[in-house]
Order: sequence, then structure tokens, then C-alpha cells
Amino acid sequence: MPRLTFVSPDGNETTVEASTGDSVMQAALAGNVDGIVAECGGAMMCATCHVYVADDWAPKTGTPSDGERAMLDFAASEVKPTSRLSCQIAITDELDGLTVHLPDAQI
Amino acid sequence: MSFAPTDDTITIDQLTRDPYSVYRRLRAEAPVVRVKSIGRTLLTKAADTRAVKDNPALFSNNDPNTPMKRAFQAHTLMRKDGAEHMRERMAMMPTFSPVNLKTIWGPAYEKHAAAYLDRLPRNEVVELFSTLAGPLAARILAEILGIPDATDEEMQFWSQALIDGAGNFGYADEPFKRVDGCHDAMNAMVESRVPLLKAEPDQSALSVMINADDPIEFSQVLANLKIAIGGGINEPRDSLLTVLFGLLTNPDQLEEIKRSGNWSAAFEEGLRWVAPIQASSRCANEDTQIRGIDIAKGEIIMTAQASANHDEELFEDGDKFNALRPKTTHQSFGSGPHHCMGTHLARLTIGKIMLPMIFERFPDMQLVEPEKVVWWGFGFRGPLSLPVRLN
Repeated sequence: MPRLTFVSPDGNETTVEASTGDSVMQAALAGNVDGIVAECGGAMMCATCHVYVADDWAPKTGTPSDGERAMLDFAASEVKPTSRLSCQIAITDELDGLTVHLPDAQI
Repeated sequence: MSFAPTDDTITIDQLTRDPYSVYRRLRAEAPVVRVKSIGRTLLTKAADTRAVKDNPALFSNNDPNTPMKRAFQAHTLMRKDGAEHMRERMAMMPTFSPVNLKTIWGPAYEKHAAAYLDRLPRNEVVELFSTLAGPLAARILAEILGIPDATDEEMQFWSQALIDGAGNFGYADEPFKRVDGCHDAMNAMVESRVPLLKAEPDQSALSVMINADDPIEFSQVLANLKIAIGGGINEPRDSLLTVLFGLLTNPDQLEEIKRSGNWSAAFEEGLRWVAPIQASSRCANEDTQIRGIDIAKGEIIMTAQASANHDEELFEDGDKFNALRPKTTHQSFGSGPHHCMGTHLARLTIGKIMLPMIFERFPDMQLVEPEKVVWWGFGFRGPLSLPVRLN
């Protein structure tokens, strides 16, 4: 099972085991990670599962679609080049060890 | 086998007048309970309401035994699941894109809000329900939907008729007759706009839906617009009135919000405190369990987000309005695939535009006899009036 690490703004790390095929958002909710709200449950409607992908992982998670990019404009925290909606990152075995940073706020 | 206990003491009248005291008791005593008067299994804990909505494969939106289809003269996307729901939802989605909110609807709302506030008289008692909150919600919605010629009065009348029809569980004649009349007027209004929007497309919902490369059936275009009319006026109206009531009855909080400028926090707290849409139903697709209690296939579950928003596990003194409370997540916009389409619009227009604007114009706004404000509603809830003195 791929393992994912979520780093909160104060530096606390939470590592969860994830199932391939799930989204990073789903893994966060299943692992009770604080800081992922995911109000819409993955419908790309809410921008409350915003994460910053760690720089060295960004090439593997890919780039946001146009729709995701537009929705990111509604994120509550600063949008950076590494910003993604975690519901749009599908977990693969390749992403084992993925680290994402959580923003200050989701709403 | 452990089926949900039945409560035959709770009345619809109780749930309409004071649902929160019923919910407080149920969260403690029977968080999964069959309520005889509403004929449904009621969920009152935040974890349960959320889990049901986030599992659309197990819990369908198609509650078959409601008057909604009759009232809307259509099977609407609200009661559909999966790809069928998504297709109809996405048809309207481009209208609500972040860029449209920023460049079209936000500026349009700001202009209308300023004009409606300009009309309000100073130094006398003004009823904000009927002079501001209702008409302004109607105005911006008419523009967004692409039927700007519909008057504020028409939009509000149609909206209430759709709500009353969809809530007409007793199948009385009058609400259906009233809403049938509204369908004639709404259909005529929409149809009159089609040639114009075909010739000159814009970003309104009607235009986006009819000019799409692979448009949805026109019957569903109409149904989508009516869902937006039925659901797009009372929520912004009631949430604005609720947050104003909360701030005006807690002057210390109001002062702090004025200082910090964090009007969005006040808006979210208003939504949490009294959810404009209090409860939503789902239908179990399979035999399952919630909190160890058996739920049979076909059972209708009522998820009370109003109660979830007061859940003691998440909120301290949840029955009190506190715009300064630590950040918490409410469920007033729902969750899952049916998450409210107007979420961003509401956060922008009310949280970021209206609240700072109204308190800048009327810094000493006073509520008149707040103890006389009546709160009303089980499915939808808000104050029935908000009399203020502006200066």
C-alpha cells in the first residue's frame, strides 16, 4: 500500500496508508488528517482539499486540469505553483512516499 | 438485528418551531431514530450525516416518495445519481466558474447591492426580509439564470411556490395549483429568452445550457432553472438575515469582526448556527448499518445537517452564535456530488460583498425587538422578519 505524508503548517507530519485508485483527498479523510475539509467529496466543486505538493514530487503528480486550476482560484490560502486539489490526484504505486503540505486554511 | 428505535412523540410542528431542542435530545439519546411523524429515519450526528452524503453509491438521492416530481413537473437532478446527475449538473456549471463569479456575477451583485441599500430609508423601522434580503437574492439570481426580465416579485413568488409544492407531503390541492400556474409563467419567460441567447450567447445558465456542444434535453434545462429558482432565493435570503441577527445581537463580536474584517467567518458561523437547508433525504440502495443499527434497502434516511452543525463532538456551545469561534466545518452546503452549486457565489456575495457593505453604510444599525423575531422551518429555516433601524 502506498504511504502518503501530510505536513501541517506547523510542521506536524501525519502518514497514512492509502489504496491505489483512491484520491489523495480520500486517503486524508480515511486517515483523519486534520486540514483536509473536502466539502464536496471530490466533485471538484469546492477547493477545500487544497494541498501543496512537495517540490520533488510535483513532476510525478502532474499538473492541474483547466477546471481544477479555475477552482483553485477559490482556495482560501495562497495558490502556489505546486497547488493542487487533492481530490484530483489519483494514488498509484508510483506515488508511494508522496509528501504534500497543508495550507493554513481551507475555508 | 437491531433496528432503529421509533419515536412517536416528535411532531412536525415541534420540528418546525424548535428543531434544535429535539435534535439535542436525539444526539444524546437516539442518534439514529425512526421518526413516525416524518416517516423517515433521522440522523442527527455530524459523522453520520456526512458519511451518508459522501457515499452516493450506497445512499441514493432518489427518495421516491416525495411530492417533488409533481411540484416540479419533472424528475430533476436533485433526485438523480451518478452520471445522469453529473451530466445535468455540469451543463449549468460553466456559469458558476470562478472566473465568471469574479468578473461578472460579483461585480453585478455589488452594483445591485449598492442600489438596494440606497433605497432603504434611514431613521425608521425597515423590514430587511422584504426590502433587501429577498429582492436582492431574486435580482442576482434572475441575471445569473439568464431571465433578467423576471421581476423580484415574480422570482420570489415562483421560488416559494416551488418550495411549497415540493414540501406538500399532504398532497393538498392548493400548493400544486399555485405551482402549476407558476410553471406556465416560468416556461414562457424562459422560452422567450431562447432566441435572444442563441443569437447573442452570454455566461448565464440558460445561455450556457442551450448553447452547449452537446446540450441536455430542453425539459431538463427548464428543470435545472427551476431547481435554481426554488433553491437560490431562500438560502441567500435566510443566511443573510441569520448572520445579521447573530451579529446585531452580539455587539462585542460585531466590533471584533469590524476590526478584523473577517466577515467571511461571520457568514460561515451564521450558516452553521441556523442552516438554511436543515435536512436532506437519501434512500438506502442496499441493506446496511449506521452506528450499528440496521438500515433496510429502500429505507429513507433524513440527514439533519442542522443538527450536525450543533454536534457537541465538534462544537462547544453549538446553540450559540459565535462569529469568533475557532474554525470549524459545517455541513450547510451539503457534501458529496450534490454539494451546493451556489457555495462560492454565496461566500463571495454575502460574505465578501454584502456584510462589509451594509455595516459600512449603516454602522449603527439596530435590531428592533429582536425577541419578537420568529424562527421557522423544518426543511428550510430562517427568521420570518428582521426589523432594523438604520442610521
